[in-house]
Amino acid sequence: MKKIKKAIILIFAICSFIGAYSQTKMTIRGKVIDQKDKSAVIGATIVESDKTNRVVNGTVTDVNGNFVYEMKNQANTMKVSVIGYQAKVFKPVAGKSIVIELVSTDIELSQFTITSKAKSDNQLTNIEERDNASSRVKVDLMEMKNEGITSAADALQGKVAGLDIISASGDPGSGSQIVIRGLSSMGNNKPLIVIDGIPQTTVPSGFDLSSSDSQDISRMINIALQDIKSIEVLKDAASTAAYGSQGADGVLLIETNRGKMGKVQFDYQYKSSINFQPAAIPMLNGDEYTTLQLEELHNSKGIFDVPNEIAYNRDYKDFYNYSANTNWLSLLTKVGMTNDHYFKVSGGGEKTRYLTSFSYVDEGGTTINTDAKTFSTRVNLDYFLSKKILFTVEFNYNNMKRDQNYVMGLSNGWQTRNVREMAYMKAPNMSVMEYDEKGNLTGEYFNPVTNYQGSGQDYFNPVAVAKLGKNSSDETNLENNFKLKYTFADWLSFRESVSFSFNGTKSNTFLPYDAIGVDWLSYLANRASETNSQSSTFRTESMFAYNVPFKKTDHNMTGTFGWITSQYRSQYTVLESTNSPSSDIQDPAIGGQIIDPPNASSWAKSLRSGLTEKRELSAAFSWNYKYKDRYMLQTIVRADANSAFGANNRWGVFEGVSLGWRFSSEPFLSNCSNWLSESKLRASWGTSGRPPGDAYARFATFESSGSYITNAAIVPVKIQLDNLKWESITSTNFGADLNFFKDHLFVSAEVYRKYTTDIMFPSNNWQGYSIPTSSGYDKLQYYNGGEMKNIGWEFSTAWSIVKTKDWLYKIDFNASQNINTFMKLPDNFVTEKNVSINNGEYPQKIVPGQAMGSFFGFRYKGVYASDADAVAKDASGNIMYDSKHNPIPMTYKGTYLFKGGDAIYEDINHDGKIDLNDAVYIGDSNPTLTGSFGNSIRYKNWDFSFSFYYRLGYDIINMTALNAEGMTGKDNQSKAVLSRWRVQGQEEPGLLPRACMDNPANNLGSDRYVEKGDFIRLNTVKLGYQLGADLCRKLSLQSASFTISARKLLTFTKYTGQDPEVGQDASDPFSIGKDDAKTPVSKVVTISLAVGF
Amino acid sequence: MNINMKKIFQIRFILLFFTLFLQFSCSNYMELLPNSGLVREAFWKTKSDVDAVVMGAYKTFASNNGNLFTYGEARGDMVTYSIYGQTSDQYKVMQSNINSDNGLCDWSSFYKVINYCNEVIKNAPGVQKVDNTFTDFQLQSYLAEAYFLRSLSYFYLVRTFKDVPLVLTPSETDASDFYIPKTDGDQILTQMLKDLNDNRNYAADTYSMTIAEDKGRATKTSYDALIADICLWMFDYNGCVEACDRIMANPKYVLLSGTVWFELFYPGNSLEGIFEFQFSDLNNQKNSTYGMTNRDANQYLPSQRAIDLFAKKSSVEVTRGEDASIAKLSEDNYLIWKYVGSQPDSKTVRSSMEQHSCNWIVYRLADVYLMKAEALSQLNRFSEAADLLNKIRTRANMTPLSIANSPDAYEDAILDERALELAFEGKRWFDLLRMGRRNNFSRKAKLLDVLVANVASTQKRILSARLTNPLGWYLPIAKSEIEHNKNLVQNPYYIF
Repeated sequence: MKKIKKAIILIFAICSFIGAYSQTKMTIRGKVIDQKDKSAVIGATIVESDKTNRVVNGTVTDVNGNFVYEMKNQANTMKVSVIGYQAKVFKPVAGKSIVIELVSTDIELSQFTITSKAKSDNQLTNIEERDNASSRVKVDLMEMKNEGITSAADALQGKVAGLDIISASGDPGSGSQIVIRGLSSMGNNKPLIVIDGIPQTTVPSGFDLSSSDSQDISRMINIALQDIKSIEVLKDAASTAAYGSQGADGVLLIETNRGKMGKVQFDYQYKSSINFQPAAIPMLNGDEYTTLQLEELHNSKGIFDVPNEIAYNRDYKDFYNYSANTNWLSLLTKVGMTNDHYFKVSGGGEKTRYLTSFSYVDEGGTTINTDAKTFSTRVNLDYFLSKKILFTVEFNYNNMKRDQNYVMGLSNGWQTRNVREMAYMKAPNMSVMEYDEKGNLTGEYFNPVTNYQGSGQDYFNPVAVAKLGKNSSDETNLENNFKLKYTFADWLSFRESVSFSFNGTKSNTFLPYDAIGVDWLSYLANRASETNSQSSTFRTESMFAYNVPFKKTDHNMTGTFGWITSQYRSQYTVLESTNSPSSDIQDPAIGGQIIDPPNASSWAKSLRSGLTEKRELSAAFSWNYKYKDRYMLQTIVRADANSAFGANNRWGVFEGVSLGWRFSSEPFLSNCSNWLSESKLRASWGTSGRPPGDAYARFATFESSGSYITNAAIVPVKIQLDNLKWESITSTNFGADLNFFKDHLFVSAEVYRKYTTDIMFPSNNWQGYSIPTSSGYDKLQYYNGGEMKNIGWEFSTAWSIVKTKDWLYKIDFNASQNINTFMKLPDNFVTEKNVSINNGEYPQKIVPGQAMGSFFGFRYKGVYASDADAVAKDASGNIMYDSKHNPIPMTYKGTYLFKGGDAIYEDINHDGKIDLNDAVYIGDSNPTLTGSFGNSIRYKNWDFSFSFYYRLGYDIINMTALNAEGMTGKDNQSKAVLSRWRVQGQEEPGLLPRACMDNPANNLGSDRYVEKGDFIRLNTVKLGYQLGADLCRKLSLQSASFTISARKLLTFTKYTGQDPEVGQDASDPFSIGKDDAKTPVSKVVTISLAVGF
Repeated sequence: MNINMKKIFQIRFILLFFTLFLQFSCSNYMELLPNSGLVREAFWKTKSDVDAVVMGAYKTFASNNGNLFTYGEARGDMVTYSIYGQTSDQYKVMQSNINSDNGLCDWSSFYKVINYCNEVIKNAPGVQKVDNTFTDFQLQSYLAEAYFLRSLSYFYLVRTFKDVPLVLTPSETDASDFYIPKTDGDQILTQMLKDLNDNRNYAADTYSMTIAEDKGRATKTSYDALIADICLWMFDYNGCVEACDRIMANPKYVLLSGTVWFELFYPGNSLEGIFEFQFSDLNNQKNSTYGMTNRDANQYLPSQRAIDLFAKKSSVEVTRGEDASIAKLSEDNYLIWKYVGSQPDSKTVRSSMEQHSCNWIVYRLADVYLMKAEALSQLNRFSEAADLLNKIRTRANMTPLSIANSPDAYEDAILDERALELAFEGKRWFDLLRMGRRNNFSRKAKLLDVLVANVASTQKRILSARLTNPLGWYLPIAKSEIEHNKNLVQNPYYIF
């Protein structure tokens, strides 16, 4: 040890001595001009670098292209560079003015960033990018600047094999769901997002918006798109091990742009988009609806009293209110406009580099009264305190104000219904505005306390609620990072980063009395709510990075060691009140009364609050070895302690090993260099683990249960979890990265296997793992058990077919497949969640050995043409008879006798009874192939590109159709029901069953609604024009470009629902792949203008 | 150069210090307790913790009083369904059309109470070690309350489901065994009787604070009443008589006079009351019986038989008849009045401040009289039995009965008297069941008549055949319970 120390001191001493000896100054002057037209180049950067290529100092040319510079050391090299020209190294000559001619270049900015292969500061492993032997893909956003995408999730969709991004819905700010390499757990499959090295904290578990998961992901990375330099996706455990437990679902590394040395640069970009919805499912109009209702009632009851609402009775006082032809959906739909302004200032000198950006996005939704306004600003500041110390400050502020439609809570106390859902169901014979008995408008919305369909709460007037109801939120995010990098020596550096982040959200809702049909004293009248939530994170990271200085360059050994602490805290309060004295008093604290809705669960009480704290402590060590630049061995070990676990299972240790072979550098392949460029094979193995989402799940808690007589009562409400442990995932990955023909053709392929053990069932708060109630409880918060396997492959390629000065033609293609299988289920796990098979219900079960997301149900075989046809048949198709030789009638569960016009279901076991035994496997929601392909063409200043995204080989349960084609209730139905069975003996292909009110079996969960989801979508198409360098100079601009692009313009699919892009939400493993989307993803056309000066 | 090195070492020391600091503070740093609710680590420290969980058990039991009503009345002959508020689950139980997915097969409320009691029985003794003010006497008294409530829970469970899992330890951690098979009902009750007899002497004689505590918490007398009831159910008539004698020897409990009979229910906690689950709107302790029987949203109405028994047009019952047990709204339109009225006059309903304040009477002295009478008659001590029975009758201004000296005749007379005296108090079905089970189901047919009386005419024949199987008199185990516990076996009556 002492010897090493001495050696270090000696090396230092020698270095400083040499440095002192050669320290001689020299002044140089010169002029920088364009080689072609000899014009002066303004703002070119002249830098002096020492032997180790570290920038010592520098200057910039003035308006005439002249510069004067005092060199620190004659031995150093000088380099001049400026955007739009090739950089040039020149020899300094003392005392004499030199003229430097620069050659202009058409090199894309993106190519600059690709070729600058630096060790990324964001990584915890200290490996050069080209040496990585684990599975990771980087997407450079500079290429995609102008495509009209509004969030990073959009930018990534289809660009990376194995990354599945699904838009949640078409409402503004509704977010996307990101899945890397399939679902490996029950719920909570969220990749970790790391921005400039700082992991972004997850959503608080006590957060009371049940659907917030996917939204928060997109909001989290909703820093202005233009600020993102690149996104890197880490896929295998060997690469995510560096992020420990947080990275179990993959990691997205996001790097933001930073200031560069040079004169100040201004950039402005304006984007304007039109968002419009694809055509909605056509619904019945008022007349067709009343006819249908009369038919339903007649078929079920025979003779009946015609309700006034559908009787066309002119004497009925509400005749005018029930004789309309209202298209509810079209009244809610609008064309949305989005305006996006982005302004950036960047630049820097020898000591300081800065980048400041401001962005303002005003996004209009495609439903009336929905929009979102986002303002964000970012400051990145790098300050070189000395040669050894780099100090970095990053500041990010983001504010989003959102207006959405009020979401109505239904009278059953736990369901909600939004205005679009309502518009699909609402009787179209009802008018929007109220008429009096004589047919004159009253000026009020038509909102009866009860209407033909049901109560005014459950069947509200969607237009009134959309227009008068309020649902707004104001969210602010603030993040501050301080980073210090101290370079002890060439081979050892230390980094400390401290980051704080804060999120504050306030949301308000208000439902005025006149927006809904209830009486004045109902708890729904003038109901106001206010939710305040805030969360904060404090994180420190201390990391040594070493690079062992070997004498022989054959060996290369690098690595890091360090430790990380993070703590997270979130709290919220909710206040709701009712019956405020006026619709103008919308603050729940003024005038209202606190009334809990009937059947309110504890999480829906009118006053509630919560607080959550989490802490994590980690230590990481990585060691990488490279021999002869060809053989790579990379290892990492990380230990995480998480406060969500008890002391017995608190520490999780995750490790990763990867091997790489850059075979293209082997001597025996040296004669192949004309067609083979840098290529490598990789293999990796690693483990990762997942902690529970709820930080306090392990505690047994005692809560007040009111009082008995006058004594306080307290009862235990949760079981203590002593067995709670890390869910563990082991992944193996083999891959190859191949470059051919001087990097013109790139091919990458991977196969992987992910194996999850001790699956954490389940991760969402309200569900829990069911246990027998004889225990005194009905659930455990979590239960570790069962095993799951994901295997798959990924392939991607990019081919630059033509690459000349004027022409560029590039195609890319990727494909991937993931197969998910439940290998083992916990003992006493109920594989059938729901065995009720009533209308609209699919029996839900999980089968070991089969994929999550398989569908079960009946086989639909059309419609019985007449009553006589509804008889039981044996396996060979012969009619079965009873002892008295009467045909055995076909029944539903032995109770309902099928009649003519009813749906035929296949009687699998031929017992004459349609029941649970006849429910069979009818489909699978897991795609066999997903991926994308694209083309980009550039000719001189013009460029044109398009990309397609595809998902093939999967099924969808079209719940929208199920709800709109059943004809068993009072909800409005789609136009498809116009071709329905009406008279005995009617036989037509594609005929739907008869309309029959409350028919128990006409709309069972069957393959009638299971459809192939396969689609190919034109994801983006873009045409751009870049102003020529000459013209720019004349206009004194750095650059200018104009782009027109469109997103999701065309979709090729046979799916009849709104949108085949259906999310895989694993939080409920029983109901994956159901499409009940009501707002399809809108199509967007964007015009963009960008100037730099 | 030297300066440089010093700096390096300084930074190193700082870092070293920082690392050490983190490691030493580690164990505390990671131990985060939730802010809402008490965690087990901080619980079971003082006697007030014990008190609060005992109260939690009472409270939870009391909150289940709607089901106690249904289990005790729905399949009997004193109530009928109301088209306004009745749930389909209730309706199906009344029709004997019961499947294991019927919500009323959910026994979780009972097991919650059992788990709370188990918590107390296991953890209260430990509290004494940390709380010096917690005396032996207090501890034993709390334990006695826990044993009482646990026994009462199992008694309800066995009478409703027959064989159920016997859980005697609390589910404290996920290491507990949650998958417990059924134990024979009689075996459970034998165990409960043992618990009760072992702990009776530790139970309080009285809770001096208020009358509500005296009636609402387990006393020695409550113990005796429960022992008597279980003995009677198990046909241990001597045991029953013995327990009843202890109660009747206690001068604190007297039969109310007939003129104030309705005070049993309003205001309640009468001198006759032995154990009543307490409710008070004021303290947000609301019973379900008001909602189940009031005029607007009722679930149960008096059956035709109840109307025949009570209504002025058909009955001479005055004290307990129309206006007291039932109220007449209009011709042929009657209401259960015990939980709704504040006067025996069919008109004056409870004030809105105490609508849901009516207690759920588990035991009162009249019940004890009739239990003893039943036991005595089965022991062929007919005159003593007649004496007790007629005391109840004379109190209600009814003429004394003279009954033939046969156990069956007495059984019928007592059953009828219980129907009158204890109507709608959650007793009827269990009384009928006791009769049906007695002497190896010798009078099964009478029970079957009652069972099929409620049922739609098309079903009567098939059900009277099927229900000769006594297992059909009990509810099935809930489907989800069977699914989640593979060690449970469904009541064979419900497996087809």
